Order: sequence, then structure tokens, then C-alpha cells
Amino acid sequence: MSELKRLAIVTGYEFLKHVRRKRLYVILLLVLISEAAVLVGFPALMNGFPDDAKLMATMLSVGPSMAVIGAIFFSGDAIAGEFESKSGFMLFTNPVKRTTLVLGKYIASCIAVTILIIFGYLVLCISLYAIYQTIPLETAQSFGLSLLYGATIVAFTFLFSSISKGAMGATVITLVVVMVISGIIESVLMLAGKPYWFLISTAGDSITAVYGGIELIMAGFMPLEEMHNFPFELESPDIGRSVLAMVIHLTIGLVTSLIITNRRQLS
Amino acid sequence: MNEPIVIENLTKYYNSFLALDNLSLRIAGNENVGFLGPNGAGKSTTLKILCGLIRATSGKAYIKGFDITTQKEKALSQIGTIIETPEFYGFLTPKETLNYFGKLRGMDGNHLTERIDNVIKLVSLEQWLNVKIEKFSRGMKQRLALAQTLLHDPPILILDEPALGLDPRAVIEFRQIILEAGKDKVVFFASHQLSEVAQICKYVAIIDRGKLLEYDNIAALEQKYDSLENAYLQLTGVPSE
Repeated sequence: MSELKRLAIVTGYEFLKHVRRKRLYVILLLVLISEAAVLVGFPALMNGFPDDAKLMATMLSVGPSMAVIGAIFFSGDAIAGEFESKSGFMLFTNPVKRTTLVLGKYIASCIAVTILIIFGYLVLCISLYAIYQTIPLETAQSFGLSLLYGATIVAFTFLFSSISKGAMGATVITLVVVMVISGIIESVLMLAGKPYWFLISTAGDSITAVYGGIELIMAGFMPLEEMHNFPFELESPDIGRSVLAMVIHLTIGLVTSLIITNRRQLS
Repeated sequence: MNEPIVIENLTKYYNSFLALDNLSLRIAGNENVGFLGPNGAGKSTTLKILCGLIRATSGKAYIKGFDITTQKEKALSQIGTIIETPEFYGFLTPKETLNYFGKLRGMDGNHLTERIDNVIKLVSLEQWLNVKIEKFSRGMKQRLALAQTLLHDPPILILDEPALGLDPRAVIEFRQIILEAGKDKVVFFASHQLSEVAQICKYVAIIDRGKLLEYDNIAALEQKYDSLENAYLQLTGVPSE
């Protein structure tokens, strides 16, 4: 049997695992809640929806972003779980390359996160059309970037899953690195006027930057002249560089997790 | 070199702890071999190396002539294993689990369905075939592990305490299944239960502190030491009464 066929088998059963687990549906619910919060909260707090559909699209992008971050919760145990729960004693004694097993798990996780992202964008598009009778063309670009960001986050999670003893550890470390550490470094580099496009958190910002970036958001909430009073320059991420940063993170994360899992012993 | 299992000068360190000390063992014929030794003797380490789960610090291990390090997939295709207390994916049913592992081993269609039916019947899990494994007791997981081990009808079974945690009836059933399987397979079987090993195996290998102390026919050991129990106690350093 070819490794490709084995890869398809692993992917199928790993995806079945995701479908059977509650966490996929919990994240789906979180995506819905976060977008509902924007749809209800924005008009309540700002006296109606913004005039610009792109600004509303930016706000509603919180759903797909939540979907991507949620990917960490169902990818954290992909590799670490096999070692922690000892299910690897069953899986790794099959005549299948570990590379095939990890890639199958990776593809299954990417399919799961893609479903979540599609759901988030469906809600976004339906909402925008209901409010503005239009959907900005940039939504397609934002969707593509979300898919890439999702694949990157899953690869990054796999990296920590391959080095962690436990699934919980892998999940927490990935969350802290993506949500906290990368954000702190981004702020420091921004204040210092140094480049920070290569950070994973900055690359993720490109999902909303396609609609007009930070300028669009700030213009929606404050007079233009006040934007120039900030002690540092507010800058939207460059889309091309963000794509490059995501591809680099994805490649490093996935390849490193493959190397580590291949070398890791189940004692 | 097509002997079922060949172990050559295996040494394994866990950091500074020496788990296997130049261990060599050759299972040449179609015989069932009990693998005996006190806790920490190196039994599980040896079996894990044979199953490709850990790497030896030095030395070689072959399954049916396939090097477990450089031809791992070919070597693993020859064996069915139970290592430690088996764990499965709780979200899958036994049928799905056996389908998954069977397909990974190249089985499909009617052949796979028939084999699943056979092995499930063998371990008496027919009523639980479509129930999620998360609801299973430890003993039921052991049964499923044995079913998974036999599913692809491998020529070699490598079993590490397969009856651990089973109730007495299940232990007897397990023994019968392994005995039956052992008629046309090589069973390499680690256990602390000397009586069980004596019933299943014709040969035993006794190790301690990572070294092979004795590998012989049980009858020959009983003649030499009066009983298998005495052989075990004398060889592993505990004086017999």
C-alpha cells in the first residue's frame, strides 16, 4: 500500500475523532457567540451600525479569528496525547511511517479549522448582506488569509505538541506564545520603531488589515487628527510580508514537529 | 537471517541508568518463548525496542530478518503487539478502531470485515462492537488489544503482560487464545506469572539487570533447577527455600 493511501486513512480517522469530540462544537459555539456579540453590542454601544461595511466586516472578523485560535484546543493533543495517554503503543506499532501519521493528523486538524473558518465567514457574509446589502470584495482575501493563518497556527501547535509531555501543556504553551509573548514582542518592537512583520501575531492581523487596516478602525472611532497624537506610529501589516511570515512559521512548525516526533521515544 | 526474533548486543541507557547490558537472544524456531525477570530487569525495554517504540543505545534487533531500526515498517508488519496497559481512542468504537488499524496494515473489504468479526468473537466483545471505547473497563480494553494484535494474523506476537488486570475467567480465556494462536505463531511473552508462562511457552529467557541469565527449554530448566520457580529464584539472586 502506498504512503499516500495510508495518509488518506490516517486523515480520515483523525478527522472522525475531531467530529466526535465536543471541543469542535464548543469552538463553533464560541465563533457564533463572538460574532453575535459584535452584531448586538456594536449598535447598542455606538448608536447603530457603522456606515462603512468594511469596518463592520473588520469587527465581525473576530469570529474567524476565534476559530483559528480555537484550533489550538483541538490540535494540542495531536502528538502529545499519543505519548501521554499511551495510545501511541497501539498506533506507533503499526507499519506506518510516523511522518505519515503526523501529516495525517495535521491535515485532519486543518480540515477541522477550515470548517470553523467557513462557518465564521458564512455568519460574517450573511450579517453584512443583511445590514448593508453588500459584501466587500476584500472578504475573499481575508478568508484566504484566515485559512493560511489557521494552517500556520495548527503547525505551530503541532510543534509544541511534539515537544510537550502532555496535551494540556502543549495547548497552554501555544496559547501563551501566540496570544501573549508574540503580542508583547510586537508591542516592544513597535514602540522601538523596529520591524515586527515576521511575528505570528502580526501576520494574523493581516486577516482584518485587508479591509483597510488600523486606519479604518481608528477612523471609525475617533477624529483623524487624534490618531497622529499617538507616541508611536500605528501601522497595518503588509499583506505580502504577512503571507511570507505565515509560510515561514508553518514550514518551521510542521517540519520541526515531524523531526521531533520521528525521534521521540515512547518509553 | 529469517529467524523470527534476533537480538544482538542490545544496550540501552535511560540517561545514566543502564537498562539493557549487551543483551543477545536468538529465537530461531517456531517456538513460544516466555520472557521472565524481576521488575526493572529490562523486559519491557527489550520489547519496546523490538516494536520500534524506543531506540537502543547500541546493538541490533531483527524481526524476520528486518532490522527494526532501518527497516522498521517491514519489521512491524510481521508482528502483533500488546505493550503495557493498552489505551485506545475513546471516541471510536472497537469496530472503527479495528477498521482503522486493519486498513493501516493494508487490509480492506470483505477480508477485513471477516477478520474483525473473527477476532471480536474470539475475545468475546461482540456486544460491544459499536460502543465507544471511552465506556470500556480496563479488562475490555485488554480484550480489544488482543483482538487488534491478532487482526492481521501476524506470524509473531510480542506480548508484555497481556493478562495484567484481568479477572480470573478472562485470564483463562486469554491463555486459551494465546495458546491457540501460538500453535502457528511465535509468541514472545513477558510475564511475572511463572505458571502462565509454563502453560503457554516451551522456552523461557530469564533476564536481570539488563543481562540474559538463561535461555532454555522449560523442561531442561526444571530438570536442572527442580522447578521453573527455583530456576527463576536462583538465577535472579533470590535464594530458594
